[in-house]
Amino acid sequence: MDLVTQAVVIGLSENAPLILAAIGFYLLYRLTGLINVAFAETVTLGAYFGMWANTTFGLDFYAVLLPAGILAGLVSVATYLAVFRPAKQRNVGMLEMIIISFGLSILLRHGLQFVFGYPVRFFDVPTPDTVMVLGVGVTSFRLLALVSVVVLSLLLYLFIQRSRLGLQIRALASDQNLAQASGIRPLAVTVLIWFLAGLAGGLAGAFFGVGSSVAPLLGWRLFLPILLVVLVGRAWGLGGVIAVGAATGILLAGATLQFGQVLYAQLLLILLFLAILKLRARRLAGTGGIAA
Amino acid sequence: MSLDWLDAFLIFGLFEVAMIIGLALLLHLQLGLARMANFGVVGFWGLGMYAFGVSYVRVDWPFGEPWQFLACALIAIVVSGLAGLIVGWYVSDLDTDGVLVGTLGFATAVAILATTEQDLTGGALGMGGLGFPYNIGTVKENELLWLAITALVVGAILFYVWRVHRSPYGRLLIAVGANEPLARSLGKRTRRAKIGLFVIASAAMGLLGAMFGVMVRFLDITHLGVDITLAAMVGLVLGGSARVWGAVIGVVLTVGLFDIIVQSYLPLPREWYTQAIPVLREAIFGLTLIVVLLFRPLGLLGDMRRDRLMGKLHDR
Repeated sequence: MDLVTQAVVIGLSENAPLILAAIGFYLLYRLTGLINVAFAETVTLGAYFGMWANTTFGLDFYAVLLPAGILAGLVSVATYLAVFRPAKQRNVGMLEMIIISFGLSILLRHGLQFVFGYPVRFFDVPTPDTVMVLGVGVTSFRLLALVSVVVLSLLLYLFIQRSRLGLQIRALASDQNLAQASGIRPLAVTVLIWFLAGLAGGLAGAFFGVGSSVAPLLGWRLFLPILLVVLVGRAWGLGGVIAVGAATGILLAGATLQFGQVLYAQLLLILLFLAILKLRARRLAGTGGIAA
Repeated sequence: MSLDWLDAFLIFGLFEVAMIIGLALLLHLQLGLARMANFGVVGFWGLGMYAFGVSYVRVDWPFGEPWQFLACALIAIVVSGLAGLIVGWYVSDLDTDGVLVGTLGFATAVAILATTEQDLTGGALGMGGLGFPYNIGTVKENELLWLAITALVVGAILFYVWRVHRSPYGRLLIAVGANEPLARSLGKRTRRAKIGLFVIASAAMGLLGAMFGVMVRFLDITHLGVDITLAAMVGLVLGGSARVWGAVIGVVLTVGLFDIIVQSYLPLPREWYTQAIPVLREAIFGLTLIVVLLFRPLGLLGDMRRDRLMGKLHDR
């Protein structure tokens, strides 16, 4: 069986939640222009909320997705109302906002250990069956996770691109004053965006958590790939972020199969994406802009 | 000389405070003056630590101490400085997002290489075999002397940063931070200044990493977490990122409070020190960053003296 087929099947089935997380991060980035480092903790909290609902109430994995996503979304809204909104009202600069989000990330990551305990936790789910897809063995669980992620990503995409509320979100992200003059309520729409971003991040966290373990560093370890996917894909809009997210998953799987070491694959991905961002910045600099 | 009265935790706590002050002072040049948020401090520090450790342990040097230490420390400085040159070039024409992703990506790359290159670094198992470049008696005496040497190095960094503030180069960095396009339009070579800043700061961070390696004498990848960057950043932000002494005061109030007062003097249950206190330390550091930047963005020491003077002159 050729490497490409294996990379596509394994990459998409294992890294599909990355696309979901990238959509959530992109929503916030598009609206605020802020690299919200604390988004990593939304992903982590999604995993913790899911694990808590699963192990405390005995719910199966798909039943815990709803509370995990909603609770992560509510935490995301709470961070906006308690931290980022006051910061914006105080005219805190973008650099300081990033440092604030870094501080919030650290606070949440360590604070959650006082609530959920210090040891690494696991979902209590039955051992999944293995299904053959194009000759590659994939657990039924990962396959269902992939389908769920595709459906959820599609729903989010359609909601943002096609619905009335989605139009308001895009309008607010493009020009806040003009959107306000057009009758859009900025606070309500902004809260909705933060909720959707948290929901997407939380669901991604639950999918990642059930596939391995639930630990405080879960989201932080995914943050750089999420950030790179969004920074590279944003040039082509939400569709670009989804496409780059999918390509990243396939690339990671292919490089891991080639090198036999996932860390080398991650290193390759970081270097490749940093090179793309640098080349794009140089091209923009040639036309007068300076950006990552 | 009997040092029974001296707690081993106290020596290490003081060493950590001194080292983090050094890192925060270097971060002050980047973040406080040039407004470049280096989120990869641990990467440069860790690269220096491992460059020192690998050359010290894996190379069969034809000469003994202290020349072996000096040669390996020089390697750490050069390797970290070269990394600073590459990262500095990478981020020099990028905006805040680009600086974040470039420095964070670099720190992640260092952590990955330290983990995967087991033959050199020992990977997750760690690497021992490091030692002090002298032997004056007991371990405690050697550690105390190393603390004094580190304090001297950090004192030299403080003096350098103080000099930069009063030099044309320092004014150029401030101009880069305030309005880079304007500085460039006035003929200032801003990109070169930023790259130079990264080279010098990274080389010094690498030296501090090498000195940490000597102090702990055992390197492992758990040192390469975000804690080092966080400690330097929270100290600088609390004290005042625009002022030279901000880094010193902020680190004493944060790292000093936890790593000296709490570790050595508070009568807390022993089991708290393994998990609860380190977790609480980081959570409070994170909270400090949020509270300070929301309510007192310029930290305890406030604005630069020159800005305050200008404010008075113009009744601002």
